[in-house]
Amino acid sequence: MNSQKTLCIVLLVLSTIAIIACLVINFEAWIVYTVAIFGIPLWVLSLGLLTMAKPLPEDAEERVKEPFTGY
Amino acid sequence: MNLMANILINVIIAFLAGSLLLGLHRKIMARVQKRPGPPIVQNLIHSLKFFFKETAIPKTVSKVFYIGIVFILALIWIVGVIVGPVAHDSLLILFGVYAVYKIVEHNSGSSSGSPYGKLSCVRAVLSAATELPLFAAIVFVYLITGTMNIGEIITYQSAHGPLIFTIPLAALMFFMLIITKSPYSPFAITKDKALISGFETEHFGLLRGFMHFSEAIAWYVLLWVFLTIFFGPLNAVGYLIGMIVITFITGFINATTPILSPNHSVMTQITIGAICFFGTILMIFTGVVA
Repeated sequence: MNSQKTLCIVLLVLSTIAIIACLVINFEAWIVYTVAIFGIPLWVLSLGLLTMAKPLPEDAEERVKEPFTGY
Repeated sequence: MNLMANILINVIIAFLAGSLLLGLHRKIMARVQKRPGPPIVQNLIHSLKFFFKETAIPKTVSKVFYIGIVFILALIWIVGVIVGPVAHDSLLILFGVYAVYKIVEHNSGSSSGSPYGKLSCVRAVLSAATELPLFAAIVFVYLITGTMNIGEIITYQSAHGPLIFTIPLAALMFFMLIITKSPYSPFAITKDKALISGFETEHFGLLRGFMHFSEAIAWYVLLWVFLTIFFGPLNAVGYLIGMIVITFITGFINATTPILSPNHSVMTQITIGAICFFGTILMIFTGVVA
């Protein structure tokens, strides 16, 4: 498991726990705002980094060398 | 209701409604140009589809910045949802959100290492001209209502009537911002097709999906703020009709207008902004505005 995948799993778990904690417990408003502002984008990004498809090993080098492809 | 639940519901509504409205925008543009156009749900499907697409990070990018800027884009529009629909807080924070959005456009282009992105990054500085009419519109709202707080502005309008009738030229300035932020806008110099997709060109796959997520929320927040501060207290149906009407108008304008060159775009925005600014001042001093 590479470091990016490990980091994404950790961030996904942390942001999920933080969001659920704010749903269950009524914290002060500034705590909830902080969790929402950082937690929601982090949750979406870390989930996306885990769900995204990776290039095939034989294509990987070509993909990163070809910088101006657009989508 | 629990505050976090309220925020989550509003973010999901903003994403879904914003995506469908942007899909409607594309459909309207297509129909005006006598094309069938994609289905209205296509924008939403694209956003979700990109999360599962193959994504690679080019060697030329600044990796942390390249991913981080997309995170910041989502972060500022979550702030927009909190300040607007959730907390009814200060307009100044929303002005700050738009200012940071400009920084995101700038840095997203520069982090990619692509010449298209870098040119878009330079144009993002020019397109900051949009923020001047926005700031002027907010100042006039403050002068009339005596507050920057969205909740208090709604209360003012329920007592004195919608601000669109009091300061229509300020509303026009704000509407120009909406046109500028709409897809394929004549003022969208950072996403001119000569630059492929501008600052978004090198953000593909998951990162493009994440940008679509943020831009859908941005479109919803923009329309929500406009309707709230100029059309007074509205219910859900009122917001829905208002958003569809504005999307229809911007779609029609964008379908029939070419993208302007950067200097023409900036001069047009500043000229319209100046006319509306001095027009509103004239209305205030001649007593047209109570």
